[in-house]
Amino acid sequence: MSLLSHKQPANLVEIQNVSYYRGKRAIFDGLSLDIPRGKVCAIMGPSGTGKTTLLNLIAGQLLPDEGAVRFEGRVVCPCSRKRLYDTRRQIGVLFQDGALLTNLSVYENVAFPLREHTRLPEELIRQIVLMRLHSVGLRAAWKRMPSELSGGMARRVGLARALVLDPKLIVYDEPFAGLDPIAVGVILRLIRQTNDVLGITSIVVTHDVPEAEVLADLIFLISEGKVVASGSPADMQQKDSAMVRQFMQGLADGPVPFHYPGATYAEQLRAMSGT
Amino acid sequence: MNKSLQACWNSFGQFAGTFGGFQLFSLRLLPYLPKAILRPRLITEQIYSIGALSLVLTMFGGFFVGVVLALQSYSTLVEFGQVDSLGAFASEALVRELGPVVAALLFAGRAGGAVASEVGLMRATNQIAAMELMAVDPLQRIIVPRFIAGVISVPLLAAIFCTMGILGAYLVGVHQLGVDAGAFWSHIQDRVDLFEDVGSGLFKSFVFGVSASLMGVYEGYYAVPGASGVSRAATRTVVITSVWILLFDFVLTGMTMPGV
Repeated sequence: MSLLSHKQPANLVEIQNVSYYRGKRAIFDGLSLDIPRGKVCAIMGPSGTGKTTLLNLIAGQLLPDEGAVRFEGRVVCPCSRKRLYDTRRQIGVLFQDGALLTNLSVYENVAFPLREHTRLPEELIRQIVLMRLHSVGLRAAWKRMPSELSGGMARRVGLARALVLDPKLIVYDEPFAGLDPIAVGVILRLIRQTNDVLGITSIVVTHDVPEAEVLADLIFLISEGKVVASGSPADMQQKDSAMVRQFMQGLADGPVPFHYPGATYAEQLRAMSGT
Repeated sequence: MNKSLQACWNSFGQFAGTFGGFQLFSLRLLPYLPKAILRPRLITEQIYSIGALSLVLTMFGGFFVGVVLALQSYSTLVEFGQVDSLGAFASEALVRELGPVVAALLFAGRAGGAVASEVGLMRATNQIAAMELMAVDPLQRIIVPRFIAGVISVPLLAAIFCTMGILGAYLVGVHQLGVDAGAFWSHIQDRVDLFEDVGSGLFKSFVFGVSASLMGVYEGYYAVPGASGVSRAATRTVVITSVWILLFDFVLTGMTMPGV
């Protein structure tokens, strides 16, 4: 009975009818999606569709104008600062560039959340930090400063730091952007392994279709403020929607036009020549 | 005409918005101050970075201000047969006025701008956002230690500035201009009052320290992410702090000057 009463919701994150406006422009207009526990979910969409804004809504950095974002069944924001920070302690975020603290070494960056949130003895902190650095293959680079790391290494250190407090959810913001193929392979493997070995849930915001197809259990395609399609990578390839086909196959023209919307060529020439 | 009025009104609105934002930011910092004392290491690190690293510049500045002050005042004092008062004259000018003001201006240029750039760069490179997402309050971890370190550092730097200035005046006055060493020091002892002169100088330094540190962290914290935003934050810090220091100096001198 007690086990039943403590049953966790099947979805770790629930986004329910969320609308978010920047000025008068609607970034999201009644967006709804659920992130199931233990899965790697890719959130994809053309540039400027608000993928990173969605991450900020999930982490409580932004407050939705309408609707609610729930983490483990509880509304993330608005709430008290203490509860918001309690929620954030269960979410690890990996920024596109790692967002390492530039005045701290690799070791101190990974130890940073432990020092801020726990009173663990130095010996234990050392063991945890080295274990996390080992898991991303950078144990030997513990003394280096962030300025001495490549883009891929910085992201791996960022991942070790995001994992150090054993979060339930890891959010990756464009983890493959600007990386060479080897580094992409390393990050792909780390995301999948981390998710499966630690039994956590992962949200990957990306517009790299091949990587998302290899990595994700579920793909959500966002466009014009709504989820236009969702499903497994295999399902997404079978969708009939023109928008899905354009995005998944990387077509230059389609529902997202090649030309920026405006007057026709002839009209613009006439207007600019003053006739 | 309408356009000019509109531009003036917009500028006033912008100024009022910035000033109000600055005051709100200052009030937001207040509850963090007692907690910051529980982590003194963060403050001492910042005292080293913004205070100790400003030491050479401050000592250099203090020494040469003292030297010039002695040279300039000697020609006047000699006319009235008061060359023995050279030490007292230089000391009073340094302790009451030049020490606090020039040390604070040097601090604003060297450390205030650096703090604004550092914090602004942390904002631009998502380090502050990363801290917030790690459930670490950047005001507590980044801003308050730098503010307290600045408030502690400026009076100490001003004291060192004055000491170096008096030393400079001594070397020029006694060893080059022939003022009697005993008279130099005894006049200082007679004229410089611990409470009225040193106390008012320290009080001024404290106020300047609060102004310079607060402006540095405020401009950095709200810097527009990007190279131009960060450089603008550093420039605004130096310019606004310098104007404040000169204005506050006028007000505080009026308040603390005996007989005014």
